[in-house]
Amino acid sequence: MRFNDAVVGTAFLLIAGAMIAMTFTFPPFPGQKYGPSLFPRIIGGGIILCSVLLMLREWRGGGRPLLVLEDWARRPGRLASFALMLAAMVFYLVASEPLGFMPTAFLIQLVLFLWFGVRPLMALVVATVMTIAVQYFFGSLMRVPLPRGILDSVL
Amino acid sequence: MTAISAAFGLVFDPTVLAVIMGSAMFGMFVGAMPGLTATMATALLVPVTFFMAPVPALGAIVTATAMAIFAGDIPAAMLRMPGTPASAAYADESYEMTKKGQLNLAMGANLVFSVLGGIFGVAILIVLAPVLAEVAINFSSFEYFWLACLGLTCAVFIGTGDPLKGLLSLFIGLAIGCVGIDPAAGQPRFTFGNVDLLSGINFIPTLIGMFAVSELLRGAVTMEKGGHVVAQAVGNLMTGVGGVLRKYWLNFLRGSMIGTVIGALPGAGADIAAWVSYAISKKTSKEPEKFGTGHVEGIVDATSANNSALGAAWIPALVFGIPGDSITAIVIGVLYMKGMNPGPSVFLQTPELIYAVFIIFIIANLLMFPLGWAAIKSAKQILRVPRNILLPIILIFCIVGSYAMTNSLYGVVLMVTMGVFGWLLEEHGVPVAPLILGLVLGEMLEQNFMSSMIKADGSLLGFLSRPIAGVLGVCTMAIWVLMIWRALSFGSSRAAVGAKA
Repeated sequence: MRFNDAVVGTAFLLIAGAMIAMTFTFPPFPGQKYGPSLFPRIIGGGIILCSVLLMLREWRGGGRPLLVLEDWARRPGRLASFALMLAAMVFYLVASEPLGFMPTAFLIQLVLFLWFGVRPLMALVVATVMTIAVQYFFGSLMRVPLPRGILDSVL
Repeated sequence: MTAISAAFGLVFDPTVLAVIMGSAMFGMFVGAMPGLTATMATALLVPVTFFMAPVPALGAIVTATAMAIFAGDIPAAMLRMPGTPASAAYADESYEMTKKGQLNLAMGANLVFSVLGGIFGVAILIVLAPVLAEVAINFSSFEYFWLACLGLTCAVFIGTGDPLKGLLSLFIGLAIGCVGIDPAAGQPRFTFGNVDLLSGINFIPTLIGMFAVSELLRGAVTMEKGGHVVAQAVGNLMTGVGGVLRKYWLNFLRGSMIGTVIGALPGAGADIAAWVSYAISKKTSKEPEKFGTGHVEGIVDATSANNSALGAAWIPALVFGIPGDSITAIVIGVLYMKGMNPGPSVFLQTPELIYAVFIIFIIANLLMFPLGWAAIKSAKQILRVPRNILLPIILIFCIVGSYAMTNSLYGVVLMVTMGVFGWLLEEHGVPVAPLILGLVLGEMLEQNFMSSMIKADGSLLGFLSRPIAGVLGVCTMAIWVLMIWRALSFGSSRAAVGAKA
């Protein structure tokens, strides 16, 4: 998925514009001429300059298509692999608090392993071992408060 | 002297040595796996080192990266797939050697010259850093402002193929760095009333997102691709290496020197050092026609260069607090997290820490020889670890690492957001390394800029009034002018070509 540089430039132009607009709400630094809004404005100006140059370059070069899809984005299987990788992260965000770290991590690994063609027994063993190892290392040794979820009474 | 003996005491502690050993093996493995880079190794290590004392934390990063840069040579020779981008410059060359039946020599030369190049870079670091620190101790906000500008400029113009996109990436990084409480007046900026954002964009989840998650997203769609390990037994690695050393010692010195200079330049690291020294080797060689057909000469240059760059990148990082490459950018982030502000004062206040880093560097490069030997011997087993098992496991490490940095889902949210953002940027040819440098240096740049502005009362001439600041400022602006001029002439020549067509 690749947009041409004119699209990229437009996107960053808008973001930088919004950023500069927000700096006008910052109060001045009492007793100083230069306040907290100066530096973000310079940076915003820099982004705008780069964006405009990107757009100009694209137009002068004749302009490529607005959006180019690579090979993988046309293949449903690979697109699904991409989506699944992303979905796994979103699943962790949603499920880790209610389910707890161990069930979530186990499920994520199992599903991804199976999707990417690891043999089921192998997938089950690796997912179990890795989940316990990570929980032990980070949860117990490093004392990271990983969410306990449904296993609260067991752990 | 007491500082040096204190440093030895810090390093030769069982825990520290165990950490060094463990991260050495970790680095070897990550470097040898195509698609996993040395920067990614560092990004995954940082959440673990977060819980350690400064010396083992730095030791882990130093060792893992040194190993990873060497280990990247292994799949380059065996699979024609560089394990890290730093080996990409001569992957074809080493693979050609393997096809000619010279796998032993290719691996032996890579190992020996990686070790020697690494030691060369460290030697320069040890000699130069304290001297520079003595100069740097007198620097004011003006000098630091220009140094940061010079560093970021180099990062954009040396480190990237497309300077315009590199510059854009840098500005985005600086903009992200503005989120949170502003360093001069204490005013919250761009926080949208969110408590998590008040503390700024946490550096480590951003890093894991940009360097690891984006790599996972790319890896997910190229899962089937894999190389074929050449069926060539690894024999005696040292046969013939002595001859190569005698014949090409000048190449080794030149490669290491180029690597050291490029590594020490802020923003450019091991991968660029390897490309440049390989190109120079070819240009000055007596037999340039042999390059690309499995000739060891260019490999000597380039493999020395990428390892020497690694040590040299620590010179600006330790002395000025300005990273020499994306790995030292991470290191500086780690130092800040540990409450130590990198800069010349570290040399005065805690010299034992600096010496400890030097000692670890030497140990790491010496350790590279036996461990590298073992890694080459067991390369077939390492390269057989399937990516479809590796990627989901790395994902779990990314998630836990980011979670551990904030002890809340905010870290994971940040990681996912930055991962997707970084992936999008790279898809569009915008490099992420300048962004990371901008994020790390943003606060320092703004602080020095603001205090310079206030001191000079807004006059730009004031920025150049001190001698060193003046020289640095003029150099920086000269590079800017040169780049603008080149961009303009390049643009018009492109337009002329377009008109002709």
